[in-house]
Amino acid sequence: MNKLDLLQLAQKSLWRRKARTILTVTGVMIGTTAIVVMLSLGIGLNESQRRSMESWGSLNVIRVQPGTNYDNEGNPLGEAKRLNDETVEEIKAIDGVWAVTPAYDAGGEARFGRKRGGLQLIGVDPAAMENLEFTPLLGRLLEPGDRNVIVVGSEVINQFQDEADIKKMQRGMMISPGMREDKDPADIMDQRLTMELYSGTNREQKKVFAFQVVGVLEGEQKEHSYQAYAPIEDVKKMRRFLNQASGGSTSSMSREIAMKMGGGAVSVRRVGGSKSSSRIEADDYSYILVHTKDVSDTKIVSQALKDQGFNSWSMADQLEGIEKTSRTIQAILGGIGAITLLVAAIGITNTMIMAIYERTREIGIMKVIGATFRDIHSMFLAEAGLIGFFGGIIGLGLSYTVSYVINQISKDFMNRGMPPGTEEAIGISLIPGWLALFAVLFAIMIGILAGLYPANRAVRLSPINAIRND
Amino acid sequence: MKVTALTKKYRIGQEIVTALDRVDLTVKQGEFLCILGTSGSGKSTLLHLMAGLERPTKGDISINGKTLSGMKEKDMALFRRKHMGFVFQSYNLIPTMTALENVSLPLIFDGSDTRERVGKARELLIQLGLKDRFRHKPQEMSGGQQQRVSIARALVNNPRILFADEPTGNLDSKTTKEIMEILREKVSQSGLTLVMVTHDNELAEYADRCIYMVDGMITQIVEKGARHEEA
Ligand SMILES: Nc1ncnc2c1ncn2[C@@H]1O[C@H](COP(=O)(O)OP(=O)(O)OP(=O)(O)O)[C@@H](O)[C@H]1O
Ligand SMILES: [Mg+2]
Repeated sequence: MNKLDLLQLAQKSLWRRKARTILTVTGVMIGTTAIVVMLSLGIGLNESQRRSMESWGSLNVIRVQPGTNYDNEGNPLGEAKRLNDETVEEIKAIDGVWAVTPAYDAGGEARFGRKRGGLQLIGVDPAAMENLEFTPLLGRLLEPGDRNVIVVGSEVINQFQDEADIKKMQRGMMISPGMREDKDPADIMDQRLTMELYSGTNREQKKVFAFQVVGVLEGEQKEHSYQAYAPIEDVKKMRRFLNQASGGSTSSMSREIAMKMGGGAVSVRRVGGSKSSSRIEADDYSYILVHTKDVSDTKIVSQALKDQGFNSWSMADQLEGIEKTSRTIQAILGGIGAITLLVAAIGITNTMIMAIYERTREIGIMKVIGATFRDIHSMFLAEAGLIGFFGGIIGLGLSYTVSYVINQISKDFMNRGMPPGTEEAIGISLIPGWLALFAVLFAIMIGILAGLYPANRAVRLSPINAIRND
Repeated sequence: MKVTALTKKYRIGQEIVTALDRVDLTVKQGEFLCILGTSGSGKSTLLHLMAGLERPTKGDISINGKTLSGMKEKDMALFRRKHMGFVFQSYNLIPTMTALENVSLPLIFDGSDTRERVGKARELLIQLGLKDRFRHKPQEMSGGQQQRVSIARALVNNPRILFADEPTGNLDSKTTKEIMEILREKVSQSGLTLVMVTHDNELAEYADRCIYMVDGMITQIVEKGARHEEA
């Protein structure tokens, strides 16, 4: 018996007991909807947490800081690793690492035109800038061979204020503006930005470093929005200058900078504390960014780095705990849906058993004219599977509707009290493609499982008793 | 087909009913065999056993040297599908299917493609004078028409043996005659073997050979040499 005929026969027999089929399909539909909506809430929860973390940095990046890695009790794990070209090679050799970007950071006060403000400067190899997965909003990224140019984050312009305003503020004539207004990033494009650095114990040496702004990076409220990127050689030069007098340690400056960067602060503070145990060379990198292709790689690489004694930190590590909680929530929600679907499955079994009673004679005839056990079995499973399939498909449609309504309501709720134009809240119910596919396949599977018992009973029917005349 | 010492016993509660008692019988290829007997004499039981629809308690049936008792359920079904056809007193058509669908059903199980099976089904229905009834459901047809549909269904797989259990039991004498003539013609034309159960002595005249049964045993075999020469 070929598959198409099988399905056609099954569909015909279902259609002839319309009312019952529709009711049974409704059961499966409700079950499927329950499961999908429940799981979609769990997934939505997961996703919104993930997005809020991603807004602080990519999940495909691990940051390796100087210093030792510590275990949960705070005991150092192995020796502190130095971050130099050797280490870079060592990291590149780890499986799952896609690219490695060493970086220096530096910073201080910068000026352009009549404006003044703090600038956090990161030195990267211009050739490696594309690894950071930035897109320019204006201008371009750093390119190989660049010197004395700079690419800034979109918020950097907001760190700068007019010289006159600063003076007024200092004299108390003007209260600092409570809400800082957003300035146009285009204002900083193509500007010549200068940084005055002082070196020596009494800041007796002064040097001016100048950069041409060649690009502004896309993305607001991200870590990089507040940073500026310059060719690594330029930043190296700045550091050398700063270190001339203070004798090699970069701690004071980099600590100050790291404090501003959230995540980095912890580890750098430790470096400060354990200065005696591991001296940091002037030419050592401030940190190394390790890039991977996806989150799962990030987790593996992050663990490998820790195993090798690196002091590494990644957003993906933080995600783990959150994922665990939301998995639990999903399991509970999914369980509620599963119970609903179980009830639907019992409905299918019941319908199919009734069908056997009605069709005893028909089944007998089919056996007499040459239907094998397998044919009869498949026919019943196909019917049950079709009930599952229709219930699953319609349930999925309903799920999308329910999910849409939930999101509409929750968006209204969440966007209230938020200034207009801020990042649109994503829905709390998300139905990814795999869930849709899974839901339908699962409904079919439930149908088939529910049909197994009736199918076996149908197979065992004696054809003789079925076709007896009396 | 050779039937040897075929015995079938049924247990009803404590009682054991012997429906067939050591029946020996040979059915020749291409003959029209009629099984006659009173009600409860075991005619239908014999037919069912010969068709492999039931297992004998004892004894054996072999068709072309193949013994049925050694066959698996699945092979038996396949054997019926390929080589046997069935006609019953109560037509046993599937009520939700049209005439055309009913006739092509055996071919559906056999997995033949739609065009082929619809073609064959049409051809047979036309042959049996049901040209205008393709799309009719069983309850929209008379008894005689339904029986003709069921004969078409029985013949659609070009069987070697046709089993008929009181095929005219529900029909009036005129329709009975029509049906019997159709069956007789099929046997004479195509070398088909027909085993027909009836309790109507008059129908015996269509057959090549008649066996009479009483209480599960064959009591008499009547040959009609005139009709059947050799097979
Ligand atoms: N499934 C069964 N269970 C119990 N007894 C049965 C069964 N089938 C047949 N019998 C018994 O076997 C005997 C023969 O039955 P069978 O149906 O073969 O008779 P028959 O000759 O076909 O009668 P009729 O002309 O009424 O159709 C009967 O006594 C009947 O009661
Ligand atoms: Mg009978």
